[in-house]
Amino acid sequence: MTENTRIVENATCTFCGCVCDDMQLHVDLDEKRITKAKNACILGRAWFAEHTIEDAPAAMIDGKEVTIEEAIEEAAQTLVNAKFPITYGLSDTTCEAQRQAVAISDIIKGNIDTTTSVCHGPSGLAFQGVGESTSTLGEVKNRADLVIYWGGNPAESHPRHFGRYAVTPKGMFTPGGKKDRTVVLVDVRKTKSAPVSDIFIMPKPGKDFEVLWALRALVKGKKISDDIEETTGVPLETLEDLTDRMKNCRFGVLFFGMGLTMTRGRHFNSGALLALATDLNEFTHFVAKPVRGHGNVTGADNVVSWQTGYPFGVNFSRGYPRFNPGEFTTVDTLSNADADAALIIASDPASNFPKKAIDHLKNIPIITLDTKQTDTTKDAHVAFRTATYGINTTGTVYRMDDVPITLRPAFESPFPEDETILKGIRKRVQELMLAKHQARGGGGEAKVASTTPL
Amino acid sequence: MALKLKLHTQPDVPMEADCICPNRMQSLSDNEIENLTVFHGNRQVKLGDFFKCDGDNDGDIIIDGDLSNIKHIGSAMLSGKITVEGNVGVHTGAAMRGGEIIIQGNASDWLGPEMLGGRITVQGDAGHMVGSGYRGSTAGMQGGEIIVHGNVKNETGHVMRRGLIVVGGNAGDFTGVNMLAGTIIVLGEMGIRAGAGMKRGTIICQNKAEILPTFTQSCDYQPSFIRRYLKYLTTLGLSINESLINGPFERWCGDSVELNRGEILLYAGK
Repeated sequence: MTENTRIVENATCTFCGCVCDDMQLHVDLDEKRITKAKNACILGRAWFAEHTIEDAPAAMIDGKEVTIEEAIEEAAQTLVNAKFPITYGLSDTTCEAQRQAVAISDIIKGNIDTTTSVCHGPSGLAFQGVGESTSTLGEVKNRADLVIYWGGNPAESHPRHFGRYAVTPKGMFTPGGKKDRTVVLVDVRKTKSAPVSDIFIMPKPGKDFEVLWALRALVKGKKISDDIEETTGVPLETLEDLTDRMKNCRFGVLFFGMGLTMTRGRHFNSGALLALATDLNEFTHFVAKPVRGHGNVTGADNVVSWQTGYPFGVNFSRGYPRFNPGEFTTVDTLSNADADAALIIASDPASNFPKKAIDHLKNIPIITLDTKQTDTTKDAHVAFRTATYGINTTGTVYRMDDVPITLRPAFESPFPEDETILKGIRKRVQELMLAKHQARGGGGEAKVASTTPL
Repeated sequence: MALKLKLHTQPDVPMEADCICPNRMQSLSDNEIENLTVFHGNRQVKLGDFFKCDGDNDGDIIIDGDLSNIKHIGSAMLSGKITVEGNVGVHTGAAMRGGEIIIQGNASDWLGPEMLGGRITVQGDAGHMVGSGYRGSTAGMQGGEIIVHGNVKNETGHVMRRGLIVVGGNAGDFTGVNMLAGTIIVLGEMGIRAGAGMKRGTIICQNKAEILPTFTQSCDYQPSFIRRYLKYLTTLGLSINESLINGPFERWCGDSVELNRGEILLYAGK
């Protein structure tokens, strides 16, 4: 370690949706790397340690190094010439960059989707169908005396969720910390989160909906069938006990993960849980919150929502936003071979999408913005290497409870920010679309688009 | 003589052709019909770039070709008849109010969503969300009939409010989910969680099905209205077992987390 060290106080970790903003980063400015991340969990430490500056070109076309301007021109031409261009990713970049991506999709009349569609997308559908009784994590910390985790394993996926927000912290009305709370974990297997819980409930795999539905009936004072244990693996007495606890707590919270949203029933599972929280508000204060994965996936939902009216799976091909998950979500647009060009921002679909979708992705021109080489960037027609948000760039991200947090960068990167590249692409596609429109003898629409402030 | 549309060029990205509808093509010449605008991805192009038009438009349209990549056929249709000699894409018959659509192949997802009247017949299979509402919508199908001779996938009749859906084969999960009223008849097997959240309405199935814990069995009986329905279905070309017409049905009431006024009728004769 050299003497040229900088300490960044109250830096933010953008690895997971907890977005912990109490990091103390020790930065070696000569080597351009973070040597210590105080307060970070094991995942955060790995996140800070692995983001160093690599020796790689900032922009490439078909694997050959080019200038950033050339790459922006090629990316813009590719997107403007496509009939069904898709934009995907966005959960690991700043809200400022996400905003530019939405503008690009709007101008090129494309399709925009975020990684929400493959994680808590079903919850997004359920919010629309059922509604959301919600709160911030600060309220949970200060008030919640019954905390239920359903279909998640925060001990491994969000290690500081217990300690910082929901289980052990001492709050205004929970001065005893964990002693003042009852923690319930519902999962199909005993995970590393189970020892934290006071009550562990293990339904049969794929029976979460039935358990939630039975709880809804019990909360409403309705009778449920006697064979509930045989159907769900959970005894009636256990459900009745949980119902009593839920109805009689002062402030209850249901945190739910992808064990609920991505199993059979998907948005109906999330919807059942949200409806249960709503039902419980007849008796006490109860909220439900999804435990989000990527650092700024919540920001992606917020930005896409406030710019288009919908959180993900939005299509602009007719000149106005339309929302239809299953049709305009990226797995579907790729699996159905709809898309003919892709702008992938801070995401790696080529390593985790279904094979059919990956096969089609490899057959169309891809433009990528990423901090590292990935399976997707390897196949990219135009690849930009960008700076890491939160480590090299400032900006805004949203915590999983929709609270915006400003980032404090640790050291500079030689690579441009996502926002800078996307601003360049937006400017160029706007010029190209305007030229196309004028060539057809048009005026108004493109002029309006070109003067819309962003 | 019917108006014939022949697909001569397959669209390379999805096409939205809501102009393919008898009331929109009424009183137009072949040339004018070929000049109607469709969306080929984000491009506005002419229908004639993809279809050859021939014949007179007397309210009867026959379409030849695989239309799997063409969406919104017969959307908001008021009258007349469309016969598709092949498969169709998503949103076929969306919000249609009258007339008839006959699909000789398979239909994709969102067949007849938020339909108000008329009849859609599919001789093959259909996808998810048959006769359903769109996401966030409080009412799906509000009238008319959808007859699918083959299988359907999930969420058939989601938030359905009125009308009839008949499935000749099997139905996926969540049949009649959040149903408000109307009738769904499944002649094959149903997936899990049928009728979840239903307020009113009737789901009839020829086979046993897994019932949610919030439904209660009320009785076994032989409802006379089922006989009338099933006899009507035989006139539409569906083969109905005679024992089903006269057979007893288990009646399950639900969903108790909602109004508890819906019913699932399961054939109890075997």
